[in-house]
Amino acid sequence: MESVIDIFVPDIGDFKDVQIVEVLVKDGDIVDAEQGLIVVESDKATMEIPSPIAGFIKKVFLKIGDKVSRGTVIAKAQPIAPDRAPSKAAAQNVSAVSGGGEERFDLVVIGGGPGGYSAAYRAADLGLRVAMIERYQALGGVCLNVGCIPSKALLHIAAAKEEAESIADKGVRFGSLELDLNALRSFKDGTVKKLTDGLGQMARARDVRIINGLARFVASNRLAIDLDTGASRYVEFEKCIIATGSSANKLSVFPQDKRIVTSTGALQLETIPKQMLVVGAGIIGLEMATIYSALGARIDLVERLPSMLAGVDPDAVKIWQSRNAHRFQHIDLNAGVVSAMTDSNGVSVEIEGAKPGRRIYDLVLQSAGRVPNSANLGLEKIGIRRDAKGFVAVDRQMRTNLPHVFAIGDVAGNPMLAHKAVHEGHVAAEAAAGLKSFFDAKIVPNVAYTDPEVAWVGVMEHEAASSGRRVRSAKFSWAASGRAIASGASYGMTKLIIDQETHRIVGGVIVGPHAGDMIGEICLAIEMGADAIDISKTIHPHPTFGETIGLAAEVYEGVCTDVLPGAKRSTRRASH
Amino acid sequence: MVDSIEIVLPDIGDYKDVPIVEINVAVGDDVVIDTPLLSIESDKATMEVPSPAAGKVKQLMIEVGSLVSQGSILMILEAGSASGDSPAQEMSAKLASSAKDTGTVAQGESASIEVRERPEPSGLEDRGGRPEVSQAHASPSVRALARELGVPLALVVPSGAKGRVLHDDVTGHVKQVMGSTQLPPSAIAPALPKADFEKFGAIERVPLSRIQQITGANLSRNWNMIPHVTNFDKADVTEAEAFRKNINGEAGEASAKLTMVSILIKAAALALKKYPRFNSSFDQDALILKKYIHIGFAVDTPKGLVVPVIRDCDKKGLIEIASEMRALADKALGGQLSPVDMQGGCISVSSLGGVGGHGFTPIINAPEVAILGAGRAVTEAVWDGSGFQPRRMLPITLSWDHRVVDGVAAARFLGFVATLLNDLRRYAL
Repeated sequence: MESVIDIFVPDIGDFKDVQIVEVLVKDGDIVDAEQGLIVVESDKATMEIPSPIAGFIKKVFLKIGDKVSRGTVIAKAQPIAPDRAPSKAAAQNVSAVSGGGEERFDLVVIGGGPGGYSAAYRAADLGLRVAMIERYQALGGVCLNVGCIPSKALLHIAAAKEEAESIADKGVRFGSLELDLNALRSFKDGTVKKLTDGLGQMARARDVRIINGLARFVASNRLAIDLDTGASRYVEFEKCIIATGSSANKLSVFPQDKRIVTSTGALQLETIPKQMLVVGAGIIGLEMATIYSALGARIDLVERLPSMLAGVDPDAVKIWQSRNAHRFQHIDLNAGVVSAMTDSNGVSVEIEGAKPGRRIYDLVLQSAGRVPNSANLGLEKIGIRRDAKGFVAVDRQMRTNLPHVFAIGDVAGNPMLAHKAVHEGHVAAEAAAGLKSFFDAKIVPNVAYTDPEVAWVGVMEHEAASSGRRVRSAKFSWAASGRAIASGASYGMTKLIIDQETHRIVGGVIVGPHAGDMIGEICLAIEMGADAIDISKTIHPHPTFGETIGLAAEVYEGVCTDVLPGAKRSTRRASH
Repeated sequence: MVDSIEIVLPDIGDYKDVPIVEINVAVGDDVVIDTPLLSIESDKATMEVPSPAAGKVKQLMIEVGSLVSQGSILMILEAGSASGDSPAQEMSAKLASSAKDTGTVAQGESASIEVRERPEPSGLEDRGGRPEVSQAHASPSVRALARELGVPLALVVPSGAKGRVLHDDVTGHVKQVMGSTQLPPSAIAPALPKADFEKFGAIERVPLSRIQQITGANLSRNWNMIPHVTNFDKADVTEAEAFRKNINGEAGEASAKLTMVSILIKAAALALKKYPRFNSSFDQDALILKKYIHIGFAVDTPKGLVVPVIRDCDKKGLIEIASEMRALADKALGGQLSPVDMQGGCISVSSLGGVGGHGFTPIINAPEVAILGAGRAVTEAVWDGSGFQPRRMLPITLSWDHRVVDGVAAARFLGFVATLLNDLRRYAL
């Protein structure tokens, strides 16, 4: 009575001998009607061929690479009446029970950080049916929850506190410091909550389905989501965007201990240590050093490279160092941690470098880079390529080697910055919706929200030489800015890097208050292909920090009257 | 410490944005110096790009179809430590300095490639190896429009200040492309019929060489777009043949043989001088007249037809032309012609004299406006007014662009060539 039928390739349009790029079922599987059996690729598109029946697959006749045409036998199957069909999950020997019916979305975004939610919302605005899978309860990813935003809340407090102290010698003095860590934490948490709540509302307003759990690929169009309850559910997708972000690099030299933290732990602000070690002098390390130092900790710094803020303009790094010397007891460059032990006194760390030694700390921050979260996604199962560092390889439309799967943000490559992820997310969402969007930005700006703030973008003067590019820089020292002097920021600097042949702005560095807010003007200049003269002829308000950008352009043009005549270089005016 | 080396495209002559047609290596492959990495294709030839260094391919920055120019980064090698020594660094220094000394590096197939040290990216700098974004001088909105319309910005003629590509330039480019006669024949002509030949008997499918494919596309374009007319004439080469044999007899084995093609090249050069309108290129509403005389000649090679160019033929003697011809033909047969060897021709000469046939209608090698063809000379009975004389008569043909010249001019040009061939003393006039 058990009938066995052949499943054929149906009429798939005017195609012959199209290649199978994927086989989705194997002998013994139970399939639903309309469940994909094989994926074929014509010169125009890939196409999934669904099962015409619900049934038990007795034998699959095809493998990847085979060519099929209308009428080719795909498999032998035994139909199952719908009411007698066993639970598919059970039949496929999936240990977890299904957490609900299988749903199909036009787009599934894995990860609810800035890149992920930007992509999800953009795609929803373009009319796609979107789900977003997030492993934590709160949306916003590292940036909102344990990164950019809480650190900025604390840096704001640190800056205000130090600013208040700095005016003591100008005739305004406050009483002694009183620190209420609980209140400080709730200010920080409140800031975060305001934003993450907003994200939830935005998702609801757009009908973006949010599923909490850990996603992994089980087929090229299907994800398993492991839920907090221990159960799993499945979703099918037409397109998928991987936006799983990155995690702080944990150094193997350190044991497990609550006094040894990454940026996430440091932002919890459990206590204010007396002695703190920061491992890694990049943006994150220096921001956390600024916060903890302002709150009373003495900081030591260990950096593997010969300089802090590696890759940043050396003039900027010099200013930063001289303004921050008071925060640090020891700065060990070209140095590393060789061993670390913990006991009730603290974390005992042995440092290797020019001045080797062993010191004891109350808190150790590991800020030595971040690694992409690409390991547990089942990428290998569907053949998505990663590079040696674990980044998912993508093209200019953020497509992986599978054209219907995209990757954006930290997991798709450096720089690991939220604003880059957001732009990539929009590109991927638009491309997934069929628009011809590409990531064509010329530059991605960087900001260290320290005191002083450092912002930089584009070609760096010290790197241009090695790349053979002919550039000239024009520097305007804030010692000549009235606003900067009045604000106690005469140490600041604005530098433009200009291509010698085209006179176009190709890079910029700003050091001083609001540097990050001002770098946008230089970003726009680069994207628009503006010349130095375009900026120098733009009237900037006076007295502002921002006018230093216009003044730096005037220095390049040789027309700046706010610097000594000897300081300007005799330059031929850029053509008009 | 592993050194990364950026492999960049060397100077390949006057070409920009040439497509990559083949990539011979994959990430993870070990290569040694001179391993062919990839092939690029100009409109005249394909060229292999050999590796300038040994190592492991770490990352490909290009794919088949990518357009590259001199200096484009092709791939990143991890300098080979397997070989024991690390020649990459030395070589990079050496090549960089030699490149600086000469301004350019060698041409063509033997081109050495510049390599640049690429520091192991630090956390802040690494962009995850994303290929460089469009460097066109265009604002983000214009770049987005170009993407939408699929316009390569490098091809758009900018009208903005200092070469800025504007919105209207992109739309203008599209209109021009759509409205011009530059459309590929397939876009204006119905597809040619195809048949299932196996129905009629056994067949074999032989792939065309790259040169054959390129030549085919170019010939088809030229044939479709240029209004060709072909004139026929005959030249009395009795004396020229005798002179040629005489000279070759005098010359030792070592020196270059004077060939009929070299005599034809010189005749074409002199005719171009007398009729300068044939030494031109058509440019929509203008004619570009050339003040130099470089002449191409067709060479049949096992991989297909190529047309190397001899420069300044008006200033060179017959022997000099013959010896340059020999050298270029040898290079062509060895597949070693560089694009530079095939550029700059004013007119082409195609001779079937060595093979046979009375005459043929050659296809103009655009952007030239005429091509001179020659068949095989035969002895004919020629009436000299009082009797028949046995004369060696060479059939010559001239295909010409009717947009540029007309029948009268062509008849005069070809007649002048015949007159020159009839009496080589006129070469000295």
